[in-house]
Amino acid sequence: MDYLLHVLILIAIYSILSVSLNLISGYAGLLSVAHAALFGVGAYIAALLALHFHANFLVGILCAAIGAGLISLVVAAPSLRIHDDYFVLATFAFQVIAFGVMNNWIGLTGGPMGLPGIPQPTIFGVVISSHAQFLVLAAGFAVIAALLVRRLVRSPFGRVLKAIREDEVFAQSLGKNVMLYKLQVFAIGGGLAAVAGALYAHYITFIDPSSFTVTESIFILAMVIVGGSGSIAGSVVGAVLLVSLPEALRFVGMPSSVAANVRQMLYGGLLVVFMMFRPQGILGEFAFHRK
Amino acid sequence: MGQVLANGLIAGSAYALVALGFAVIYGTTRFFHVAHGAIYTAGAYITYALAVLCRIPLGVAIPAAVILSCVLGLLTETVIYRPLRRKYAAALVLLIASLGLYVVLQNAISLVFGDDIKSIRSASVQEGFNVLGARITLVQLVTLGVAAALFVATGLLLGRTRLGKALRAVASDLELARVTGIDTDRSILFAFGLGSALAAVAAILVSFDVDMTPTMGMNALLMGVVATIIGGIGSIPGAAVGGLLLGVAQHLGVWKIGSQWQDTIAFAVLLAFLLVRPQGIFGRKLRKAEI
Repeated sequence: MDYLLHVLILIAIYSILSVSLNLISGYAGLLSVAHAALFGVGAYIAALLALHFHANFLVGILCAAIGAGLISLVVAAPSLRIHDDYFVLATFAFQVIAFGVMNNWIGLTGGPMGLPGIPQPTIFGVVISSHAQFLVLAAGFAVIAALLVRRLVRSPFGRVLKAIREDEVFAQSLGKNVMLYKLQVFAIGGGLAAVAGALYAHYITFIDPSSFTVTESIFILAMVIVGGSGSIAGSVVGAVLLVSLPEALRFVGMPSSVAANVRQMLYGGLLVVFMMFRPQGILGEFAFHRK
Repeated sequence: MGQVLANGLIAGSAYALVALGFAVIYGTTRFFHVAHGAIYTAGAYITYALAVLCRIPLGVAIPAAVILSCVLGLLTETVIYRPLRRKYAAALVLLIASLGLYVVLQNAISLVFGDDIKSIRSASVQEGFNVLGARITLVQLVTLGVAAALFVATGLLLGRTRLGKALRAVASDLELARVTGIDTDRSILFAFGLGSALAAVAAILVSFDVDMTPTMGMNALLMGVVATIIGGIGSIPGAAVGGLLLGVAQHLGVWKIGSQWQDTIAFAVLLAFLLVRPQGIFGRKLRKAEI
């Protein structure tokens, strides 16, 4: 039973990640492979605040979101000058640098040894210790994140994002400040990724850089693309599918050493197949077409 | 200091070879072929399989490995990229498919060969020659020589022959090239064959020097891409200069601040170039629509 709850908690955390990346990549059309880095920034901020300052869980999550939101502006900055595949490369660079800092700044992050002993969250005096309680917490945050993104993309703000995605120069010609929109969408998306990171840190109670690699970024991107770019329901479907499919491998009796590789081959293969036959994903509306 | 420069130039010449292969493919197709990194890894592991596991002499195993990697490169083009190009897929779609393909190939290699370090070095460690106060081994000298020879050969092939002219025509406008009677599919196929062979040669040389792991390709690819962008994308002398500059910059950085920051240095250089001079040292100024 705990195992099932564990998978559901992971699905909730990854839903926050895929919905927030969808806001950046699916709605604003800014394909990013730095999402795991922002996820990691959130996890580290929350963990460090809890370990060194005994910060309250909610304060930690808020600080993580603000901190990662600010750092997201650094990721977004290159998009003001470069576009499409060059921008992907810039986000790649940010991801590698962020991993380098997490892995090498041993004084702050513990390096490859990670940060153990992150306390379980306490909310208004209640300690969240069982899987069931944590699931309620994580699912609550996932629902809030999805509703927030839904509200954003259905507002005039969201319509401008789609206009930027479809034709940036056109949006600019209508007097929209494209730069400002790009910075805002990254700050919001990165902040949400950090919320997922803080939840993850408090749930696993241990973090190390290996959870925030470029492969993890591609994994989150695969959820967005398989589920459907520009569809919030799609991102949730993507998270459910890509988290639960590899778990199914356990039940067919695959040894865990093989399963890790097969899991990655599965989502790599899904990316290729979806690009070839359904680039807009299961429920999506945007197919990264030519501008 | 002399040793640092020598090490930088040797690492740089391997980066330059990867950059050259990458630039030949990017220069013709205008999309980021991330799976190039997996072809590179495959080159090293096929050599290992033939020379160490099947005990075939190196003189036969190395050419065979280069040819097999070349075939693998041709397969990626015909099975995945060509059908996508037929659907007029955007460069971003090809990039995402390529990311997926990279993940699949890398995990296939680690599934077959395992994650531990494999070696094709047969002889014991040699002391090396003394060149201007720096110790250089035979393998490293061969690397420098082979890289220089391949650069000259590729430069002549692309700059002086009809085939090279066809590749440049395809690069500048696929449709127009087809209208003038160039077999565009064959030109692109040739670019993939040549690029993949160059990657395999680089991988074999590097694995003689520092052995191999399944993730070696990601690092090599990233360094190759960084070198390509520093030098100016699509330019052959650019790839050479970019690779050597990157190698030297990295080794100077390592010497001053420590080896764990190697990737971080490379990507900081990349970000600086993307922001300040995205067309690289030798590239021509791009119009906004092209970047």
